[in-house]
Amino acid sequence: MTIIDTLAKNRGELENKLRNMLAKPVFLIEMDAFALPCGCKGLTINSRGLQFDDLEIFEEHINEYLRITSENLEVEPSFLFARLVPGTAEVASLNSRVLCNRCYLDFARGTGKQPRPDIYILNFSRRE
Amino acid sequence: MKLYAPHVGHLEALEELLTGSKDIYGIYMAGTPDYVGTGRTNLSSPGLEEIAEQTARVHEENVKMEVVLNSSCMGGQHLTPEGYNRVNWYFTQLHNIGVDAVTVAEPYFIEMLSKDYGMEVVVSVLSFVDSPQKAEFYEQLGADTIVIDPVINRDFEKLEAIRDAVSCDLKLLVNEGCLYQCPFRYAHFNFFSHANGPGPKLNVLDDYYYYKCLSLRISDPQQLIKSPWIRPEDLKEYKHITDIFKIGGRTHFPNWILNNVQAYANESYDGNLMDLLDCPRDIRDLFYIPNKELDGAINQWKQCSKVCNKCGYCKKLAEKIIKVYTAEGCENILKPLKSKGGQ
Repeated sequence: MTIIDTLAKNRGELENKLRNMLAKPVFLIEMDAFALPCGCKGLTINSRGLQFDDLEIFEEHINEYLRITSENLEVEPSFLFARLVPGTAEVASLNSRVLCNRCYLDFARGTGKQPRPDIYILNFSRRE
Repeated sequence: MKLYAPHVGHLEALEELLTGSKDIYGIYMAGTPDYVGTGRTNLSSPGLEEIAEQTARVHEENVKMEVVLNSSCMGGQHLTPEGYNRVNWYFTQLHNIGVDAVTVAEPYFIEMLSKDYGMEVVVSVLSFVDSPQKAEFYEQLGADTIVIDPVINRDFEKLEAIRDAVSCDLKLLVNEGCLYQCPFRYAHFNFFSHANGPGPKLNVLDDYYYYKCLSLRISDPQQLIKSPWIRPEDLKEYKHITDIFKIGGRTHFPNWILNNVQAYANESYDGNLMDLLDCPRDIRDLFYIPNKELDGAINQWKQCSKVCNKCGYCKKLAEKIIKVYTAEGCENILKPLKSKGGQ
């Protein structure tokens, strides 16, 4: 299977899991694999219809679904987070990111789930 | 029927539109955002030379050229001496070029255009003309044509009252898929007007209004049915109001625009209604609304009291006919919409 077929398959599977759990046709509008100049790499899954309440109530399940998707795409699920539209109920995207050293330090300094108003951390694996 | 088609703004796309259909009466496109801007997103910002070249080209085909400058908020710039001079100069250039019509939302521009420039003055949808009184005001300001706020596209009593109240032309926007009574409407168009206008450009994180617009439909798909679009088959119901219809969609490919022109010119479309709607573009890959299954719904809407919580017609219709695209492996299949969930 090519990388784009793998992305397509996993986009659909994750979308179906979210729809079954949340009982609404959540729409994963785009799934991208990326590599940034700083060294961060990972997945961005842009969502529509997913809301912050869904995350809070079903966090354990969404975390697990995102972990499986991430592993299927060979992205270590060390940092899983949702990007929010700040001050609103809207979840803009789900993300799995392998952090570069500099960005890791930015996130490692804090302890809460929302280091910035637009980020809600689902999983952060601290390095030794 | 006089059908106005959207145009992204460059000559290559214009050629495709002109060669692709003989049913287009007029073309409309955005102007240069350095002067007035527009209340919707654009793919191009054609300069005066490009507008002149394209105006000459449409005239060769006996098609009208309309430039849309429908910023819903100028931030008061037009009221300053510099702002007035800039806009005045721009309108003069458009007139010299031979542009047939200018669409504006700002009342000041309607009065200004009606006095000095010799171009058809079109009141934009973004002036939100939804009553006979408002139509009369705009006609008194100098409007030659009013594009009616689509929020009353299914309110025939009001449409007929507007028709009776004014003698100027009326135009109906047929395929705007905006939410009925959208709470974000004014704020969203004002945001676009600043983002696509002469002022300082904004560094925006997310288009909040668009996220909400899609979320509301995903959570409550009856909103797709309640949007005040007009099906191609239902144009005949409006012919005592007007014979001028406008297709929205300035950011779409010519192929999409031509598909719309064909559907509305033929007054028939056999496919997914979402293919024709302009606004919720992203979710046309999510929902399937079989257009032909909406036959007859107009009869309900013509007598609709717009009290949705008591009526429930659109909700029942949505549950009956809307389907959801669902991934199965790498393929998409259609599944019925249930009142709970998409599966």
